Amino acid sequence: MFIQALQKVFRKPQYIFLASIASVSVFVFAVWLPNLSLIVAVMGHSGVSFSQKLDLPISLLGSIVTNFTLLSALYTIAIAIFFGINLAMMVYFLRRKTEEARHGGFSVGFLGLLSGFFGMGCAACGSLLLGSGLSLVGASGVLALLPLAGGEFGILGVMLLGTSLYLTAKQIQNPAVCKIDA
Amino acid sequence: MENNNEQRESVTPTKNNLSVPIAIVIAGALIAGAVYLSASKTALSPTAGNNQAAGRELQQGNTVSLDQMAPITNKDHIRSNPDAPVKIVEYSDFECPFCKRFHSTMQQVIEEYDGKVAWVYRHFPLDQLHPVKARAEAVAAECAGELGGNDAFWKYSDRFFELTPSNNQTDIDTVLPQIAREIGLDVSKFNSCLASGKYDKHVQDDLDNATATGGNGTPWSIVVAANGKKYPLSGAQPYASVKQLIELALLEK
Repeated sequence: MFIQALQKVFRKPQYIFLASIASVSVFVFAVWLPNLSLIVAVMGHSGVSFSQKLDLPISLLGSIVTNFTLLSALYTIAIAIFFGINLAMMVYFLRRKTEEARHGGFSVGFLGLLSGFFGMGCAACGSLLLGSGLSLVGASGVLALLPLAGGEFGILGVMLLGTSLYLTAKQIQNPAVCKIDA
Repeated sequence: MENNNEQRESVTPTKNNLSVPIAIVIAGALIAGAVYLSASKTALSPTAGNNQAAGRELQQGNTVSLDQMAPITNKDHIRSNPDAPVKIVEYSDFECPFCKRFHSTMQQVIEEYDGKVAWVYRHFPLDQLHPVKARAEAVAAECAGELGGNDAFWKYSDRFFELTPSNNQTDIDTVLPQIAREIGLDVSKFNSCLASGKYDKHVQDDLDNATATGGNGTPWSIVVAANGKKYPLSGAQPYASVKQLIELALLEK
């Protein structure tokens, strides 16, 4: 069922393109996240050539190796890929004006992405996003209680996005129809 | 056949479901808020020319900013030329695996930019992730510095990162004196220094300064150009990125 739904959506090149763009965007955003202010500053720096401006963000992509554990790199990549596929399948559905969200697929997908972002922030020592948020309420010590020090959010993100994919695929194969009572 | 399917699929149910827009709005707001929180903390430092204005703003709003960075003095642990045009101030945690990785990157930087880049080491022990041990190890490095000078501080730090596996797996009662002995320090004096608590405040001051400058994880580094302009660098970024930042800072006169 799942494979059939994927085939149905991705036999059209525009959906492959959409999924690829979305996946790459999420991945790049996740890797750049700790240094967004630096990237913005360098891009706006008047005394630097265009090629120099590009060098820094490109080199920062290498932090998927240096600034992530194997686990966090894997779930970051998985979240990016799952989100791209999810988005393409949602758009496929929306274009057919069906009520895909009734069963929660879309909502679960976004919750998965959100959870994944918290997990991504936890990749380095001292969660970037989770730490920022929790420190506001004085609860950053909760990280110490988590066996993976926040990596749980990334894994939860992968699971939620996986669930969303399953729900969407199910609906693509069993579209909403007006049933006739027997 | 496909047309029939699409006709069936295009039947629009009447039920008005708000879960999709609500989920999108909540997710978007939370992500944007979190990004804003982390990005706004590290507002780039202005150059020396408009530092006064920034200072006033800080006093009024107490905003986290790179300008809160404590000045580099001869009390700091500085590797390479203290008068180098570019200085990299690193706030680091001895138990953090990414700090261990970034320590090697910084060693490579100092080798390649000998005399042009100075490395300033400050402490940022993350109690939430590495309770007790990270602070004790920071104090131990300070004790090494007291007993053997700046060189001993760096020898101690290099050896510690080389020897230990990070993430609270180090038996500090055994390993700290062992490293002190290896680098030729008087172990009894070293142990007395550790027990005295005399560097607890120094470590706390470093930590407070790290958070005041926008650090919320380790390693947290600030690249300082000759004209005072500061660039934040969060995490164990690759050597290529550090090199790019150094080249950029070297352009600032």
